[in-house]
Amino acid sequence: MVSRVFQGGAADAFPNGVGSMQCKELEAVLEQEGLTPLPPAARAHLAECMSCQGFFADLTTIQSLAQELPAEADPPERLWVSLRAQLAAEGVIKEEAKLTPDTPWWQSITVWLRPRTLATAAAGIVLLVTGVFLSQKPATKTYLAVIPNRPAPSPVSNSVAPPVVVPPVRNSTVTPRPSPTEEAMANGGLILNQAELSVPNMQLAGNSTVDASLRDNLRTVNEFIAECQQHLKQHPEDELAREYLESAYQQKAELLAAMMDSGGSEH
Amino acid sequence: MHSRRVYALCLRMVSNPADAEDLAQEAFLQLFRKIGTFRGESAFSTWLHRMTVNVVLMRLRKKTLPTDSLEETVDPDAENSGPKRDVGAVDLRLSGAVDRVNLERSIEKLPPGYKTVFVLHDVQGFEHNEIAGIMGCSVGNSKSQLHKARTRLRDLLQEELRAQARQERQAAKSHTGSEG
Repeated sequence: MVSRVFQGGAADAFPNGVGSMQCKELEAVLEQEGLTPLPPAARAHLAECMSCQGFFADLTTIQSLAQELPAEADPPERLWVSLRAQLAAEGVIKEEAKLTPDTPWWQSITVWLRPRTLATAAAGIVLLVTGVFLSQKPATKTYLAVIPNRPAPSPVSNSVAPPVVVPPVRNSTVTPRPSPTEEAMANGGLILNQAELSVPNMQLAGNSTVDASLRDNLRTVNEFIAECQQHLKQHPEDELAREYLESAYQQKAELLAAMMDSGGSEH
Repeated sequence: MHSRRVYALCLRMVSNPADAEDLAQEAFLQLFRKIGTFRGESAFSTWLHRMTVNVVLMRLRKKTLPTDSLEETVDPDAENSGPKRDVGAVDLRLSGAVDRVNLERSIEKLPPGYKTVFVLHDVQGFEHNEIAGIMGCSVGNSKSQLHKARTRLRDLLQEELRAQARQERQAAKSHTGSEG
């Protein structure tokens, strides 16, 4: 481009051409190389050409002012609302139900059944149960059973034998009502089981070793919970077993919460 | 951070918050739809900005009349392409005379192609190799477009300064006339 402009000698140069570099040449340099750093020939021309000095100064002013302009701006919140709705409509994401004061109670349950919320709620319930349990005196439970058709102890008399009251037996026909503590723990266990349902299909971590380790831990905790539950069925008075069970629930809740956080961050 | 830059770019390109929201949303929709195709061959910001620029220019092309041109130049190598620098004219020095408001107003008047390169480089700080990736052009073309954008801005700002000076003179004349 420069060679096409300057055909011939100095007489054909641009009117304001000064020194060895012409004004058009300087402009070509600015176009190809930017404002800084300038080659010596360009600096020499600028030192002698008032017009190019003004031109260069103006471009520098423009660049400096532009750098002061905000490079970022906060998009309005409705942009994200609209984006989420559009993505949900296209099936790219699943829109989560949000609780509002007007949300019907039956709909709010579906929100509470979200896995992460379940794990968090379960952890909270287990912690609460543990606190309640530890603050209460161990309950003494007695089971009374009336066993019909039991032979009378007296071999001589023909009188009707009175009903026999026997001490607590395993196969009680009267099921005692669970205490509030036991009920809360059972509910917490149910919630944890529901949260666990979503785990098999989740990719918990990008690393398959970590994934396997997390699942192994969950399996171990579940086995322990099952053992405790079995033991308590046979020995409901065993408070130590109950403590172990509560602790296992707590561990499971924390493990599920950690697993779901890992799965969430990977997606 | 990406979202704020994307929105800011859209805002400067269309100067209308409602249109900018639409464009930014469209850009993010494209992002979510095409995220599986991102192979990491370029930086994520470059990839995202390329989508944004495409969305913006596509929208502007739909709005532009066939006689109008989105780009100031057809052939960047043509001798008479781009804004001409009238070396013989008396130039008003911009330093100290223009502020960011003047500049923002002038940026709005730039053709989309110049505006995009100028905003990406001088406002948002992208390098020419990044802009080349975003715009799908060469580094040399990016530099050339930037220079032409700045030159055009200079002309616009000087026009604005002259218009302001004229208004002030007319105001002073009418004020003097009313006193006399």
